[in-house]
Amino acid sequence: MTMQAAQEKVSNIHSSVTLSNTERLELYYYLRLTRECDNAILRLYKQGKIVGGAYTGYGNEATAVGSAYALENHDYLFPMHRDLGAHLVKGQTLKNIFLQQLARRDSLTRGRDGTGHYADPSLKIYGNVSHLAAMIPMAVGVALAARMRKENAVVMNYIGDGGCNVGDFHEGLNMAAVMKLPFILIIENNQFAYSTPNTKQFAAQKLSDRALGYGIPGFTVDGTNIIKVYEVCKEAVDRARRGAGPTLIETITMRMHGHSASDDASYVPKGMVEEWKKKDPVEKFERILTNDRVLNESNKKEMEEKMAAEIEEAMQFALDNPYPAGEDAAEGVYAP
Amino acid sequence: MARIEVVMPQMGESIAEGTIVKWHKKVGDKVKKDETLLEISTDKVDSEIPSPAAGVLAEIVIPEQKTVAVRTIIAYLETEGGVVTAEPAKPTANPLAEAPKPVAATVVPPVVTAVKPLAAPASGRFYSPLVLNIAREEGVAMTELELIPGTGDGGRVSKKDILAYVVAKKSGAVAAPAATPALKAAPVGIVAKPVDVPELRAKYPAPNFEILQMSNVLQKMAEHMVKSVQTSPHVAAIHEVDMTNVAKHRSAHAVEFEKKEGFKLTFTPYIVDAVAKAIKKYPLINTSIEGDKIIKKNFTNIGIAVAAENGLIVPVIKNAEEKNFLGLARAVNDLATRTRTKKLTPDDIQGGTFTISNYGVFGTLIGTPIINQPQVAILGTGAIKKRVAVIDDAIAIRSIAYFTLSFDHRIVDGALGGMFLEEIVQYLQNFDMNLKF
Amino acid sequence: MATMTYIEALSKGMWEEMERDRSVFLIGEDIGAYGGAFKATKGFQQHFGEERVIDATLSEAAIIGAATGAAVVGMRPIAEMQFADFVTCGFNQIVTNAAKTHYRWNLPVPMVVRLPSGGYIHGGPYHSTNPEGWFFHVPGLKIVAPSTPYDAKGLMKAAVRDNNPVLYFEYKYLYRRIKGEVPDEDYSIEIGKGDVKREGSDIVIFTYGSTVHHSLEAAEILSKEDGVETMVVDLRTLLPLDKELIINSAKSTGKVLIVHEDTLTGGIGAEIAALISENAFKFLDAPIRRVASLDTPVPFAPPLEEYFLPDTNKIVKALRELSSF
Repeated sequence: MTMQAAQEKVSNIHSSVTLSNTERLELYYYLRLTRECDNAILRLYKQGKIVGGAYTGYGNEATAVGSAYALENHDYLFPMHRDLGAHLVKGQTLKNIFLQQLARRDSLTRGRDGTGHYADPSLKIYGNVSHLAAMIPMAVGVALAARMRKENAVVMNYIGDGGCNVGDFHEGLNMAAVMKLPFILIIENNQFAYSTPNTKQFAAQKLSDRALGYGIPGFTVDGTNIIKVYEVCKEAVDRARRGAGPTLIETITMRMHGHSASDDASYVPKGMVEEWKKKDPVEKFERILTNDRVLNESNKKEMEEKMAAEIEEAMQFALDNPYPAGEDAAEGVYAP
Repeated sequence: MARIEVVMPQMGESIAEGTIVKWHKKVGDKVKKDETLLEISTDKVDSEIPSPAAGVLAEIVIPEQKTVAVRTIIAYLETEGGVVTAEPAKPTANPLAEAPKPVAATVVPPVVTAVKPLAAPASGRFYSPLVLNIAREEGVAMTELELIPGTGDGGRVSKKDILAYVVAKKSGAVAAPAATPALKAAPVGIVAKPVDVPELRAKYPAPNFEILQMSNVLQKMAEHMVKSVQTSPHVAAIHEVDMTNVAKHRSAHAVEFEKKEGFKLTFTPYIVDAVAKAIKKYPLINTSIEGDKIIKKNFTNIGIAVAAENGLIVPVIKNAEEKNFLGLARAVNDLATRTRTKKLTPDDIQGGTFTISNYGVFGTLIGTPIINQPQVAILGTGAIKKRVAVIDDAIAIRSIAYFTLSFDHRIVDGALGGMFLEEIVQYLQNFDMNLKF
Repeated sequence: MATMTYIEALSKGMWEEMERDRSVFLIGEDIGAYGGAFKATKGFQQHFGEERVIDATLSEAAIIGAATGAAVVGMRPIAEMQFADFVTCGFNQIVTNAAKTHYRWNLPVPMVVRLPSGGYIHGGPYHSTNPEGWFFHVPGLKIVAPSTPYDAKGLMKAAVRDNNPVLYFEYKYLYRRIKGEVPDEDYSIEIGKGDVKREGSDIVIFTYGSTVHHSLEAAEILSKEDGVETMVVDLRTLLPLDKELIINSAKSTGKVLIVHEDTLTGGIGAEIAALISENAFKFLDAPIRRVASLDTPVPFAPPLEEYFLPDTNKIVKALRELSSF
C-alpha cells in the first residue's frame, strides 16, 4: 500500500467515526495496555516464571478491545484466549490478570486453571476452556437466562477460524438463532488455527456467510481497524438488546505470533507477517490518532509511563503472591 | 546486594531441556531488567531470554553450547538492594482452607490393624480373609483351624463353620489342640554353589553326585566348631521351662506394642532379658580362658545364633546388662532386621560374651549346642509346646519348652551351670506380668 | 399418600420444584407441546408456559451447554435427553464444562440432566444403553439412579436443589411397571446415601436402578428355598458413593454380590469391589462376585437381549454359588 493510499484509508475511517476524542484515546489506551501486558507475559514466560503456555493477542487487539467497548457493564463477556483486551475493557484488573498467568494462590481460579480461563461474575466475564467452541452453547445458555430474567443484557462470545468448525459452533448458534437470543458471536479470523491455514479449515468465501444458514445477519469487518470493529459490534449489541436476535461477525486479521510462545510459526509463508505488520492494529490506530492530533508525544509518553508503572506494580504483586498449597488440590470438586 | 538465580525456562509444555546458544553478557557486565541476557534453543523454538532483574551478571553456571534440563540454574545476578522479587513463590497454606470441608474425592484410608499373622496352613487348604481374621481374634491356632471340618466349597471352612467351632470351644464342647506359638521363621538350608573340580568329579561322577563349594561362612563355621569341641570339654544341662506367663504377657501386649514400636513383640527379648539378669548373678559364666588365666568380662554382649541364607551368623547385642526390656526388644529387632536385609556391619558380629541358639524355631525340642569360642557357655532354647503339667496337684495345660545350657567344664562345673540355668528358668516362669513398656 | 408409577413420581418431583422455585426450567427435545417421548412432562408447558418448558432444537450439546450456562448464572435447569444413549452428543459439555466449572471457577452449577436409560424393552443398541459408567469417572458430577417411585420423586427434588450438575438416570423399564406409595408432602432424599431395601446377614447385594427389583426377587427365592438371607443395598446415588454403607454391609455379611445393568468391564461394580477389598478385606469370606450385562452393545432381538441382561435367575445362581462357597 502506498503512503497516499494509506492516508486515504485513514481519512475514510475518520469520516465515519462517531466516538469522541476522549473515547478514542481510551480505545488506544486499552490497545496499548493489551500489547504491553502481552509483552510482560512473554518476558515472564522466557524468564521461567510462567508455567504451561503463554498466548498473546498480537494482531487480535482491535477485535478484543473494539468489540468489548460496545458492551455495557451488565452485559456478559465470553472471550477466547486472544482477547486479553476484552478482559481489560470489561474492567479486569492487571493484578488479577497476572495472578492468573502466574497460577498464584489468590488468583481467580486459586491456581486451579491458568491464563484467561477464569470467571469473574462481578464483571460478568466468563473465560474460555481450551475447547473454545464448547463455550458457545454455554454462552447461549447465559443469553437464555438473561432473557428469562429480563436483564436486558447481551452476551458477546468469541471463536477462531479453527474453532468455528467444531459442532458446538453450529448447535449453539442455531439454538440462539431459533430462540432469537441476545447473543453475538465474533469469529476472529487470524489466518491460522495453530499451524493450519484457512485454506485447509473452510471452503466458504467468508466465514460470516455461515450466518445465512442460521437466518441471522452476518458481517465481515477489517479486524485491524478498531473503529470498524467497534461500529459493527455496537450495531449488533443494539440489535440484540432490542430483541432482534443474534449476529455473527467475522473480523479479519493476522496472528502475528506463534500459537503460543513455544511455537516458532515457521509454517507462516515468508513475508506474510511483514505484510500484516504494516496493518498492525495498535500502530495503525496510533497513526490515525497522531494524524488527528488526538495523540501527541506528550500525552503518549505520559500514558506509556503510567502503563509501565501499573504493569510493573501488578506483576510484582502477583510474583509476591505464593503458589497455593498442594493439598488445596483436594478441595472444591463439589459446590456446597 | 542480593543474588538472583537465572533459570532455563520451559519453552513449551513438552520441552524438557534447552541449549544455551549465546550469552549476550559477560561476567561483570551490567544488565537492565528485561534486557536480553542470552539466547537459547529448544526442540520447538529459539528465543532471546530477558534478564529477570537489573544488576550485574555475577556468574555463568552453564556455558554456551551446553544443553541443560529446564529450571536448571544457568547463571546468577547480583542486584542492588536487598529485595529479591524473582524468587519462585513458595506454596503456603491457604488461610481460607483452614477447615477442610469433606470432599467427594476424599480417600477412605484402608483399615489396617496390626495382628499377629497366623502360621501358614500345612495342608494347603484355603482360608478366607474373614476366617483367618476370626481365628486370630478368637485365638484359634492354625493347627486347630486345620482340624475344623469345613462345609464350604471343597471342604472350605466357612464363616459359619469357624463361628460354630468358637461357640463350641467356649462352651467346652471341644478341646483346643496343642498350639505351637511360632517363635520366628528363619530361612532354612545353606546355599552353596555347584563347582566343577576334575579330580573330585572323577571320584563322584554326575548325575549321582553334586559337588558344591562351601561358602566362606560355612568354612568358618566348620573350623570354629571343630576348634570349639577340641578346646572345651562340653557338658549339657537340660531344664524344663514353663513359658505360660511369658506367652500370656506377650499376647496381652502384642498389638499395643506393635502399634507403638512398629515391629512385632517376639519371645527372644524375654529370653535375652533372663540371660542378662542371670549373668549378673553368676558372672563366671561371662568369662573366657587364656592359658591358666580367667578373663572376666564386666559387660554382657549376648549373641543370637541365626540361620542366614549362606550359613550360621551370630549378631551380638552389646551391653545387654545396661538395657531394660524395651531396649533389648529394640536391639533384637534391629539386629534381626539388619540380618534379613544384609546390613550387618563386622562390628555387629564381634565381641560376644555369651550366645543363645534358638533351634526351637525348627520345632526342635531338645538340643546340645556347641560353645561359641572363646565363650564358656551357650543356651539352647527348644520349641514351646502346650503340655499337660501338674501345678499344685492339679492338671493344667501349660506352654512348656526345654532349655539346654552347654558349658565348658574347664571353668563351669555342674553346680554353677545348673544354678545359672535355674536362674533363667525361674525368671521366665515367674515373669512380672505387670511389666509395662 | 398416593400410589403412583415411577414416571408419575419423577414427573411430580419436577412439577413441585417448578412451582416452588421460579429459577427451575425444563429444556429438551419434544418435551413441550408433545409432553416428551415418554410423557414425563405432559401438561407442563400448558401450565408453566413456553419460556419455562422449552422445546429445544435437536442438539444435545446445545441443550446441555445452554443448561450449564444458565446454571452458572443462577438458574436451575433440568435438561432432558430423550434417550440416555443420545448423551454421547452432549458428552463434551458435561465433562468439559459442567463437571469442571465449580473446581475452576468456584461457581455452583445447579443443573439436572435426565437420562432415560436401560434395556428390557427391546430398544436395541441405541435406545437401551446404561451410560453411567462413562460419567462415574468424572470428578465434579453427581449421579443418582432411583429404583422406586418414592426414591424417584425424592431424588428428583434433591437433584434440583443440589448446587452441582446431577445426572439423573431413570429407567424406562420401571416407568410404568413399578408403582409405589409417594407422600404428598414435600420431601427429598439425601444425595450420597444408599438405602437398605432388604435386611439379611448371609450375603449382601449392591445394586441400583432396574436391577434392584431383580435382586429383591432373587433374595426372596434364596430365603424361601435355601434359608439364606440376603441384604439388598440400593445405592441410589453412584457419585458420590455411600462408602460407609458399602463397607459396613460388606463387613457384616462377608459375602458380596454386585449387580448392575451396565456392562461388566470397568463398571461401577469394579469400583465397589476395589473399595471393599481396600477397606474390608479381612471380613470377606468369599470372592466378590458381579452380575452385569455382557461386554457387548445392547442387542436387539429378544433372546439376544435376554442373554445379555442380568435377570432374577442369573442373580439366584450367583447367590447360590456364594452361599455354598
